[in-house]
Amino acid sequence: MNALGPSLAPYIRSSRTLKKWVTPVAQWYANLMGYRQMGLKYDDLQQEELPEVQRALGRLSQREYYDRSYRMKFAAHQSVLHKPLPKEQWLSAKDDARYLKPHIEDVLKEESERAAWDTMGVQRR
Amino acid sequence: MLATRASTAKRLARSFATVVDTKASGVKVAAVDYGQPTTAVTVLVKAGSRYQPSPGVAHVLKNFAFKSTAKRSTLGTVRESELYGGVLSASLSREYLALTTEFLRGDEPFFTSLLASILATTKFLPHEYSEYVLPVVRDESTHASRVPSTLAIEAAHSVAFRTGLGAPLLADAHSHVSLDSVKEFATSAFASGNVAVVGTGIDSARLADLVDKALAETPLPSGSSMPSSSSKYFGGSARINLPMGGQTVFVGFGTTAPSAALSVLATHLAPPSALKWPSVPRSSTKLTPVYLPYSDAALAGILVQAPDVKSVKDAAKTLFEKLKKPLTAEELKTAVARTKFDAAASAETREGLTLALGKKVFFNADTSVESTLTALDKVDDATISKTVSELLKATPTYVAIGDIATLPYVDEIML
Repeated sequence: MNALGPSLAPYIRSSRTLKKWVTPVAQWYANLMGYRQMGLKYDDLQQEELPEVQRALGRLSQREYYDRSYRMKFAAHQSVLHKPLPKEQWLSAKDDARYLKPHIEDVLKEESERAAWDTMGVQRR
Repeated sequence: MLATRASTAKRLARSFATVVDTKASGVKVAAVDYGQPTTAVTVLVKAGSRYQPSPGVAHVLKNFAFKSTAKRSTLGTVRESELYGGVLSASLSREYLALTTEFLRGDEPFFTSLLASILATTKFLPHEYSEYVLPVVRDESTHASRVPSTLAIEAAHSVAFRTGLGAPLLADAHSHVSLDSVKEFATSAFASGNVAVVGTGIDSARLADLVDKALAETPLPSGSSMPSSSSKYFGGSARINLPMGGQTVFVGFGTTAPSAALSVLATHLAPPSALKWPSVPRSSTKLTPVYLPYSDAALAGILVQAPDVKSVKDAAKTLFEKLKKPLTAEELKTAVARTKFDAAASAETREGLTLALGKKVFFNADTSVESTLTALDKVDDATISKTVSELLKATPTYVAIGDIATLPYVDEIML
């Protein structure tokens, strides 16, 4: 399993009926998780300890990196207070963008390419 | 496969370089084939430090060579060339950026298409810039800033020509070069009018075909030459404090008319040792003749290096006395012979050959060894004394590096 974990999303998105049924459930579940109430985005929850995620974090633009730290600091403060943010400050679903996922995907693609080159068999023509 | 290669390598007949215009892409191609067992294809681009819009951009662009393209990733480029046993390298001079691939005969289709994709489709990814390119750029600059001779030549160029050829070759270790400026420079430089493909160990018609084929897949924008003003010589002096590395002084002159007499003069003033291991111990003062010809200017001079200030000062004074004294017939003969040998030997190396062909392609200049040697043969007493009197009228270029509190000023040695 890689840093992003298993996902059924591509399969569900490929079918229109399935997408129509699952999307409201997914939104409900995302809200239930509670990170939006703390002002965080989903990608703030990625496992920072993994080397792939560390490399991906290094590829964020300065602005993205600053915003991420700002959200973390806010959430840590709310955690100390033992309560979520006031409702008007919750992160809306449309702001919950996957800002880190493309970078992690790039890193994973590079790793798998390296593995492919490392284990390649050469045939003489 | 090896057998077929050996038979193609048998063509020992010397073929002279001919410049061929490719039909479709508009890129000029030149090649020589002396029957070498390996082939090298170099892409010369008019993207040296002379044409850069801001300091360090050309240096960063050089280090972006062989990074991710639309076709393959950085790793893919390296691993695939390793499979062919090829060597990839990039080098930067004040006028040209050279991307070189060296490989066995028979692999030229892969390497020409690799070079074409590098020119046309390099992605300039932000993370590659910070992860791979910038660390190397910083290392190279930091290293260069500690080598007195490199520093002296850099400072001499900036003093002598100020802008254009005087622009710094390397990026400053602490200044920031933005990725956008590098991208912009690359798009303007990698246009078909600025690019020449030079090959050694390959037939020029075949190379032209391959280049056409490769550029048909990934076309270059058609464009004319880079904006650059013609060089002008100013001269002056620069003093740089450097605590370690001994004392270094560069004394020289620049000119906008490169001539054979100037190179002879540089060799005469600081004759390189003819013996590799002389019987008498070498003196600690090291004199190096410098003659750097460019398309519209040249910088000639002597680099004096010694552990202490006094010997540098004495050596520099002796140089000027030697410059003012007319040459004896024997001295002239020795200097001309040595310069001729150096010129001929440089045409033997791959780099020398590539540069000579590049000049031929871009400026239509006659750069054969024969013509250089004839020009050197024509140097006589009269031309030397004329050159010397012209030089002494101009402001010298003087660079002192080391302990600047005690190193001499230019008027102290030019008595």
